[in-house]
Amino acid sequence: MKNKKRYNNGTAYLMLSPVVIMLSIFVVIPLIYAIRISFYDWSFYQDPVFVGFRNFYLVLTDDRFYTSIGVGLKFVLLVVPVQLVLAFLFAHVVRAMGRKASSFVKTSIYIPTIISGIITAIIFQIIYNFDGGVLNAIIGSFGFEKVGWLVEKQIVLFGLAIPAIWLGFGITALIMLAGLLDIPESYYEAASLEGASAIQKMFHITIPLLKNVAVYLLVTGFVGAIQQLELPLFLTNGGPSDATLLPNFYIFEHFRNDLLMGHTIAAALLLFVVLGSISAIIFRVINSEKAIDE
Amino acid sequence: MKTMSASQRAAVSVIGFLFAIFALFPLLWMAISGFKAKTEVLQTPVRIFPEVWLFSNYGEILNDPAFTRAAFVTFVGALIFAAVGLWINSMAAYAFARLDFRFKGALWLYVITTMFIPGMAIMVTSFVVVTRLGMLDTMSVLIIPGMASAGSIFFIRQFYLNIPIAVEEAALIDGASRFKIYTTIFLPMSYPPFVIVGIGAFLGFWNAYIWPVMTITDESLFQISQYLAQFRSGRGSEFGLMLAGATLGALPTIGLFLVFQRYIIQGIKISGLK
Repeated sequence: MKNKKRYNNGTAYLMLSPVVIMLSIFVVIPLIYAIRISFYDWSFYQDPVFVGFRNFYLVLTDDRFYTSIGVGLKFVLLVVPVQLVLAFLFAHVVRAMGRKASSFVKTSIYIPTIISGIITAIIFQIIYNFDGGVLNAIIGSFGFEKVGWLVEKQIVLFGLAIPAIWLGFGITALIMLAGLLDIPESYYEAASLEGASAIQKMFHITIPLLKNVAVYLLVTGFVGAIQQLELPLFLTNGGPSDATLLPNFYIFEHFRNDLLMGHTIAAALLLFVVLGSISAIIFRVINSEKAIDE
Repeated sequence: MKTMSASQRAAVSVIGFLFAIFALFPLLWMAISGFKAKTEVLQTPVRIFPEVWLFSNYGEILNDPAFTRAAFVTFVGALIFAAVGLWINSMAAYAFARLDFRFKGALWLYVITTMFIPGMAIMVTSFVVVTRLGMLDTMSVLIIPGMASAGSIFFIRQFYLNIPIAVEEAALIDGASRFKIYTTIFLPMSYPPFVIVGIGAFLGFWNAYIWPVMTITDESLFQISQYLAQFRSGRGSEFGLMLAGATLGALPTIGLFLVFQRYIIQGIKISGLK
């Protein structure tokens, strides 16, 4: 080829134009517009009135906003660690299984990932039913008392965490498995020759080498769990007494009920600044720890 | 590979199958309960299988014109959404992977930044935009806004970056245009990423609830999730019927997954470890 760089401006712009135009209209313009409206009293029915930072002030002095962040964080703590530990266990189990059996198991665990929020809600509403639900029947057969999974304030977040874990487990586990299979077998063989025990191998080979995968899963798990909307919407409607008021549900509820949209939008923007910072901090903390290790 | 005793192997298999049961049990419960009479679904003591298998629940849902219409409309919408999305996103992916042009870096940054804007943050103003464009209560409001996807472009571009230059050199020397190279060489090779991105798009469309419920009030355009949500709030005490409907609503996606599962499970490796 010639030294001069060959540009394909015309073709490139033509090929990019559908995507760039559509992203501009349906993502970038709405974002800019959202930032603007967050400074206005604005509804679908009247002219906007500039109110400065008042919408942000209203959100930041709203107790329920903080409740929703707290509920969101608690929900993440219920969902993500369980998911990661189960996935870690699962990955080891599958690696040790025969080829045929493991492909059946892999397929099975992935299926819930493709089920919609409303269908999940329908299933779990029946499974959780106080008197005739199968879950209470199962725990009853072990001698435990029946539980009001979706109505007891102390329990209800567990009640939402179970379907959330069920929905997200497949992808988490398969990514974990891929990470595990990426570790060269020779590392383990070398360690065995040196006389390392199974536990030593786990702490000195498996866990350090899975760290990147785990960070990825932790951040995506955090982002996914904290943005859950359909489970509280369909299963609990945020209740009882705000025990399942997840952040996105808080925003959606304002969208449904408020006349003035500035508050809703300010809340949405603030939440994503807050949550974005938290996931950035998780990322930083874990990454810097890794830097010390090396 | 490590050697394991027969009993260890058996123990491992049992744990593996427990995971499978954890995943499949709720779905099997739904499908089987769909055969039960209304009073039997929540009957105590709990029985797994129905006393009498009632096929009428499934029959009744399939005979409900609102259900078949919702299923049909959602299916067609999802197909168009996935197919046109694949086309425009892969074209952009090709340009970013293989062409040199001015402002390439800036445009890439612009496109990829949109990946990090959460839908909830722009929900209200997206609604305003589609209202102004007169798209409410048409299929276009479901299909067009989410079709361009930075995530899909990113994924397909990774695949194109790994295709050796030699593949297109001969065509370039013959004077083929870049667009022709894209359509005749790259598109036919794109099956693996297309399966993954296409099915992801199809599922996203099929399972969507919030956006359809905001933008569609015309019952003839109701999506499958809207149908099920409406059924649940209106006739939610007809448990057997509702579960039959939910089962039928999940079947197409499960079927699609089972057909392409090999590619999807492979794709997870790529997307997880980029």
